[in-house]
Amino acid sequence: MAEISFPLPDLGEGLLEATVLEWLVKVGDQVERNQPFVEVETTKSSVELPSPIAGIVLTLHGEPGDVVLVDRPLITFAVADDSAGIVGTVPQEAAPKRRVRLSVVLDED
Amino acid sequence: MRTDIASTLHWQQHEPALDAGRAPVLLVHGFASSTALNWEATGWVRDLTAAGRRVLTVDLLGHGESSAPLETDVYAPSRLRAAVLEVLALAGIRVREAGNPATGVDLVGYSLGSRLAWELAAERPDLINRAVLGGMSAEDPLADFDLDAADRFLADASAIAHASTASLMTLMQLAPGANAPALLRLVAAIKAERFEPGASVPARPLLFVTGDRDVLATGTTQLAALAGGSEVLWLPARTHTNAVSSRAFKQAAIEFLGR
Repeated sequence: MAEISFPLPDLGEGLLEATVLEWLVKVGDQVERNQPFVEVETTKSSVELPSPIAGIVLTLHGEPGDVVLVDRPLITFAVADDSAGIVGTVPQEAAPKRRVRLSVVLDED
Repeated sequence: MRTDIASTLHWQQHEPALDAGRAPVLLVHGFASSTALNWEATGWVRDLTAAGRRVLTVDLLGHGESSAPLETDVYAPSRLRAAVLEVLALAGIRVREAGNPATGVDLVGYSLGSRLAWELAAERPDLINRAVLGGMSAEDPLADFDLDAADRFLADASAIAHASTASLMTLMQLAPGANAPALLRLVAAIKAERFEPGASVPARPLLFVTGDRDVLATGTTQLAALAGGSEVLWLPARTHTNAVSSRAFKQAAIEFLGR
């Protein structure tokens, strides 16, 4: 087994930190790729972060209410050795989209 | 005189992995938010589809990927509701049939989206099965917004004296992708068509969910009293901003809509 830590990802818009609201996993849990593992709040919104990798939770870096900084460790996993070389990124999966034109008729009598 | 106004609304259908055979769930986001911020980044679409529900999302006019015309009338809450109903028709939603849980539609709203969901549930009991109303206020916080001060602020960064106006302007400027000039038109339209919860009360089952530190969503108890038989869930230590992603909120909504 190998250990891999993931930092708080860049949440965009120049944000440098986030507050931990709630951990959705605990130490010892088996986490699947894409499974949300924490809920964090920035000054703009609150979000769930999906796991970039499958593994067993070794360390949660911070308690609810703690401020964590972008690029600082957020969670550490134990993973199978053959996957330790993979650099994780937060997965982005685009949902199918549809765009429609709605015509609204205004009666201004 | 009749005028045709075409507006582009962005809406999506999200299919469940394993369909539970229940009516779809329409998610209606809040002011200065969007489908992406209110429902996707927070895990709502994933959790509802994982629970076997087909999910419909729509970006309200002036928000997200929908168009943002710079006129006021198009943002009237009654017209936002009409557009939502048009989306439901396009998505093939059928009126409720007794004993058929796959018919009709369930609603989940947040903030302004809850106001619209309340009004939709009151207007269309033939269509709406149940509604979950998150972060909802009995007195629309946008109705007291100081539009002149906001316009001056946008023009030359003049200080805004009115505290709630200043905090809403901050919200608009902070929200990723928010279109402040369009949102001010929406505020003007809301001021002209204020929320009157007593005017039309939904007869359908309702679940109210509010953070107990939410200072914008006042009147949850009053609204629940108006709508007899409704349920209330308070989220400990949550605010208007961070209640949305709460797991307790999502789990309660999924349980309530699954009954």
